[in-house]
Amino acid sequence: MPTAPPRVLVADDEDDIRALVCLAVRRAGCTVLAEVTDGAAALAAARSQAPDLAVLDVSMPGASGSEVCAALRSDPATADVAVLLLSAGASPDDVARGLAAGAHAYLAKPFAVAALVARVRELTAGSPS
Amino acid sequence: MTTTEAAALPLEAELSRLRAEVARLEDERAALRDAMQHRDEELEVAARMLRARAQTMTSVIDAVTEQSIIGTDRDGVIRVWNPGAEKLLRLPRQDVVRTRSITEFHLPEELDEAGGGLDALVGVAREQGRDVRDWTYVAADGSEITVSVAVTPRADDRGEHAGWNFVGTDMTEARATERMKDQFVSLISHELRTPLTSIRGYLELVLDDEDQPLTDDQRTYLTTVERNADRLLRLVGDLLFTAQVDAGRFTLQPEDVDLSEVVRGAEETARVTARAAGVDVDVEVPDAGLVVRGDAVRLGQACDNLVSNAVKFTPRGGRVTLTLRAGWRTADGDAVSTPVEGALPVATLAVRDTGIGIPAGEQGQLFARFFRASSARRAAVPGVGLGLAITKAITTAHGGTLELTSVEGQGTTFTVVLPR
Repeated sequence: MPTAPPRVLVADDEDDIRALVCLAVRRAGCTVLAEVTDGAAALAAARSQAPDLAVLDVSMPGASGSEVCAALRSDPATADVAVLLLSAGASPDDVARGLAAGAHAYLAKPFAVAALVARVRELTAGSPS
Repeated sequence: MTTTEAAALPLEAELSRLRAEVARLEDERAALRDAMQHRDEELEVAARMLRARAQTMTSVIDAVTEQSIIGTDRDGVIRVWNPGAEKLLRLPRQDVVRTRSITEFHLPEELDEAGGGLDALVGVAREQGRDVRDWTYVAADGSEITVSVAVTPRADDRGEHAGWNFVGTDMTEARATERMKDQFVSLISHELRTPLTSIRGYLELVLDDEDQPLTDDQRTYLTTVERNADRLLRLVGDLLFTAQVDAGRFTLQPEDVDLSEVVRGAEETARVTARAAGVDVDVEVPDAGLVVRGDAVRLGQACDNLVSNAVKFTPRGGRVTLTLRAGWRTADGDAVSTPVEGALPVATLAVRDTGIGIPAGEQGQLFARFFRASSARRAAVPGVGLGLAITKAITTAHGGTLELTSVEGQGTTFTVVLPR
């Protein structure tokens, strides 16, 4: 029986960037489970659809990517979802904040598409689907 | 002459002598009275002048309503409390003077951190005659106020140390403005990076699409777009970094960094540009490496800046030489190649070029933000004048120095010295 591709949730309020992220996710051999544009929708989608990976923009309306990440971690049902944060603020403090919120990886905007593809592959490797 | 007549003669003589004496005494008394009256007037003038002077001083101090002026005796007990202090700390003069100590208006934790008690406040002023720094005052209602306080010792009329002056400026608003500037720069940088993410991302997709290869012309045009997007991105990064340095929010992530690798990396980064510009870049670094404690990313940025500058300002056929050496720096700041007593181990990187050079009169301003040498402007070398300011900030944050020697028309050498 062929294994289904890993399922990824993409959250970014910028349409162009979200499309770019979705493209990278597909290039990494994954399925885009849902595309959302704010923190609350990201959290709702993660809770209802249990993705293997959530790619979250840090600065979204409503809850930030870091807040969504912290909420996912604190709920046993979503604690295992891998999280990749994307942010246009690239100071070391931002990185530290994102990782402290429980993110597995952090990519600063602007990112290279190839780097994003590699990261998504890395974070979904071994995801049972 | 009768006997009586004979007896009267000395008596009269005595009388007239006495009269003369009385007259002289009266003259003297009148003179004394005059002198005294004169002295009285003089004293009154002096007293009036003193009163006027004191009045002037008081009215000047009282006119200061936006700065707190607090004078204490040697033990810190308050003797002067101007309206600025009344307004800032919300207590009238009569509730404070002679009864309260300056230390009661400071945040206790902050005082303790600085050693505690009055000495924490006046220690530096006692040694150096003056001290200006931020302290937190606590007002009567318990509110905390960030204040820049200038502390100076005060002497009495005999020149003896009599107490301390504390002149404070409320910095709450200034700090709020700084925070706003900070937020503004972060916002702008975020807003600029977001479209740049799309521009670079989609360019990458087009340039790397193996299924739909570009013509040579298309590739050249889009590579130009990419190069300029990168330039814009660097500028945003530089502006943000400069603002962070300004706000004192620039932090290092220290680790062991091999400078040999950093220098080789900078040469690699500049290689394509140097080749296109017809400039040779030589690298002389210790093969075994040279390790310093520092932030690898920032040191790389500093090194990249110096190398790309050297290449940028060197005409075709010129040469850029990067030399990294271990050395020692004496207490006088002299660099020596063998260890001597009291000298600190350092790493020295020299970036030497055969470029257009910097006019002697402009070398002192070279590390100022947005400054561009006239030779750079004349040669129409692109740039905004942030690279060297950033490089200087990075070396300073590492406890190092950045210096230059330059002769216009012959070349420039930048020397970075970092503790190792």
